[in-house]
Amino acid sequence: MTMTNDATGTAKKKLGLKERYALMTRGLDWETTYQPMEDVFPYATYEGIKVHDWDKWEDPFRLTMDAYWKYQAEKEQKLYAIMDAFAQNNGHLGLTDARYINALKLFLTGVTPLEYMAHRGFAHVGRQLPGVGARVACQMQSLDELRHAQTQIHSMSNYNKLYDGFHSWRHMHDRVWYLSVPKSFFDDAITAGPFEYMIAIGFSFEYVLTNLLFVPFISGAAYNGDMGAMAFGFSAQSDESRHMTLGLEAIKFMLEQDPDNLPIVQHWIDKWFWRGYRVLTLVAMMLDYMLPKKVMSWKEAWEVYAEQNGGALFADLARYGIRPPLGWQQACDDKDHLSHQAWATFYQYQAAAPFHTWVPSEEDMAWQADKYPDTFDKYYRPRFEQWAQMEAEGNRFNNGTLPLLCQVCQIPMLFTEPGDPTRICYRESEYKGETYHTCSDGCKNIFDHEQEKYIQAWLPVHQIYQGNCFGPDADPTSPDFNPLLEVIKWYGYNVGVDNRPYEGSEDQTNFRAWKQQTTSNAPAAG
Amino acid sequence: MTFELTIEPLGQTVDVEEGQTLLDASLRAGVYLPHACGHGLCGTCKVQVLDGEIDHGPISSFALMDFEREEGLCLACCATAESDITIEADIDDEPDARNLPVRSATAIVTRIENLTPTIKGVWAKVDAPEGLPFQAGQYVNVQLPGGQGHRPFSFAQSPSNPHEIELDVRFVPGGVATTWIHEQLAVGDQLQLAGPYGRFHVRASANQPLLFLAGGSGLSSPRSMILDLVEQGCTLPITLVYGARNRDELYYVDEFTRLATEVPTFTYVPTLSHEPDDSDWTGARGFVHDAAKAHFQGDFRGLKAYLCGPPAMIDACISTLMQGRLFERDIYQELFISAADTARARSPLFKRI
Repeated sequence: MTMTNDATGTAKKKLGLKERYALMTRGLDWETTYQPMEDVFPYATYEGIKVHDWDKWEDPFRLTMDAYWKYQAEKEQKLYAIMDAFAQNNGHLGLTDARYINALKLFLTGVTPLEYMAHRGFAHVGRQLPGVGARVACQMQSLDELRHAQTQIHSMSNYNKLYDGFHSWRHMHDRVWYLSVPKSFFDDAITAGPFEYMIAIGFSFEYVLTNLLFVPFISGAAYNGDMGAMAFGFSAQSDESRHMTLGLEAIKFMLEQDPDNLPIVQHWIDKWFWRGYRVLTLVAMMLDYMLPKKVMSWKEAWEVYAEQNGGALFADLARYGIRPPLGWQQACDDKDHLSHQAWATFYQYQAAAPFHTWVPSEEDMAWQADKYPDTFDKYYRPRFEQWAQMEAEGNRFNNGTLPLLCQVCQIPMLFTEPGDPTRICYRESEYKGETYHTCSDGCKNIFDHEQEKYIQAWLPVHQIYQGNCFGPDADPTSPDFNPLLEVIKWYGYNVGVDNRPYEGSEDQTNFRAWKQQTTSNAPAAG
Repeated sequence: MTFELTIEPLGQTVDVEEGQTLLDASLRAGVYLPHACGHGLCGTCKVQVLDGEIDHGPISSFALMDFEREEGLCLACCATAESDITIEADIDDEPDARNLPVRSATAIVTRIENLTPTIKGVWAKVDAPEGLPFQAGQYVNVQLPGGQGHRPFSFAQSPSNPHEIELDVRFVPGGVATTWIHEQLAVGDQLQLAGPYGRFHVRASANQPLLFLAGGSGLSSPRSMILDLVEQGCTLPITLVYGARNRDELYYVDEFTRLATEVPTFTYVPTLSHEPDDSDWTGARGFVHDAAKAHFQGDFRGLKAYLCGPPAMIDACISTLMQGRLFERDIYQELFISAADTARARSPLFKRI
């Protein structure tokens, strides 16, 4: 084979990947003539983001659909081989402890519906953004998210055969109080305009916060013997580089297109950092309290993935005039408190949650004290010790009244004042003669900026008090009417099984019995 | 054991040690490859192996699929070389890069001059008929005496003269190389050279006005580039903003002042950051980025900017340029990546700046 030589005698260079891709995809977008462009892309301008030249969008991945299917097909093949092997070999019996299943319940019921919403969101945004590079990237991410939702549903299905609390995840997502936290987060994003969605999900969530969600979860699965969950975690993470790159390209593009975009983008970063951070409260609790074999503390995870990586990102973004999000410092200060306050809340509301809670063991509390030397023994250990004692006396502490929820993040008012971990933080805003309550300065800022949006929030506790959370057969007039019982029936719980303490639960006794069967000839107990 | 790693489509060849990852070798040689997680999970650093043998290293089977392995792809962040290899990476081809071959040469020092109290000019005649051809903006590695390794110095003369190289060297207190050059090197000594290296060069094909921002001894590359542009008859506006501490540290001021009167498209903006207030200096005062901002009234749109100087100056200039609406695709800087640079936490927001 001979090389083509040009006049100067040097070998003709190969086209770069970028040039080859440009030649293949040129002309995929066009100016419409039958209909005006503003009718074809009705959401492109109302948010105030000015775009002058979509050709400046640098397609970060240059992946063709043909290659995309090939990649994803092989990922699926591998993933399902591992999941099948895990199921067929009773892989669940290799878990450290059935308490781990509760971390899975929280993750799978909380996050799986979000994957599906992300699929819908990117499909919508991919349709509405006028630039072809952005459209193709969103289309692929939309398909990725659908794949993630499916693989997680299949994982859930394996566990649902053996353990409690997974059976009604879709139904619960629309009703259960703490699941309204992730649900409202995504509903908020998907009802925003296309550019805000890209900053909310593509940038803030996928880039700034996703490592705090996935890495602890996948490592937690690995540390606790769950090869199935680890496999879908790896499989999902292999799509993440594309998602992160899309988020980064989106923010750079908006900031470079017009100086007027800067304050709009800055506000979205402030808002979506805080929204995402609040959702991560559940991850903090999972890391520090729910994993039998712990990976790292929430504080350590925050320091690596937020302070270090996020800090480097915001140092670079400063060149555009972007400053770190408003709530950044408070989130850093709260790292010593977040998980302890959250777990204490779930413990108190055990009867209303379809997973099991427990008082941390002495050994676990020693770990907490080691990881949180400034706060655990001082503020949180005494409460757990008190509750342990009450349990021993047969008098487990259950909170029978419903908590006030934050109008924005929908988390019960459980967070403390900045700088004072002994006082609950309450904020109020007046709007059209009504008082609205928020949990923090971050959520109050968000509320005050878009009151009309957040006054429509479907707050589970308000809805219970308004009588909207009972089944058709509930009779509030009957003398033995038990409202909390009726609510959790309406939530779809297997009452008394899903929502009881870990000690003595079916998950605990079954797991113990099944484990025993693997090493002895004794008949199954229970 | 050291192998050669050739990176397409640049055609650049770098050394890779046994056990060193392809990504590490590339970054250390100044070739940026896209990457993110750094440990074989995300797949951002996927490259095609065109020739040679590699070891994939500990990578996730989801980040690099079987069919991709069969097609010869690998993840540069984990792959190590088992022979000389050639890879193709997703990096932009540069139509303006001349891709001159690297060669070794001997040169005899012909002249040493104090350009400022801290910067010496060293001229040396290359002992080869064709001299040491280079592209303006590139650098040469100079072998230190006694096997103490080598140091890079930018060519300061026009590339039309490949026969007598000029290196302008600032004295760094305690620096092995600069101490040797400032205190021991003498006319008649031999220098062992290897070069040219580097991908810092003028993007002439872009056909956009040029802005050079330089500070301290970072004037060498801009000077070589500007002399080259003028010799080539460039008709685009060229601006040089050069910053020094004080009047004594300002060098080649007569040459650039003369050039500015002879070449109507060339503008020279010297600025001094630590000149005594009561001196007779009538030019700009302050740092390079301030002088540039004032000169362009904070609007840098439509330019191509070339940056050369100490890291703090580069960083301030990039922020100023970006806030004046000039972004990464139009900003170029001379990069000598040291171990300290790779240790600094950087986000993947920017690739080259």
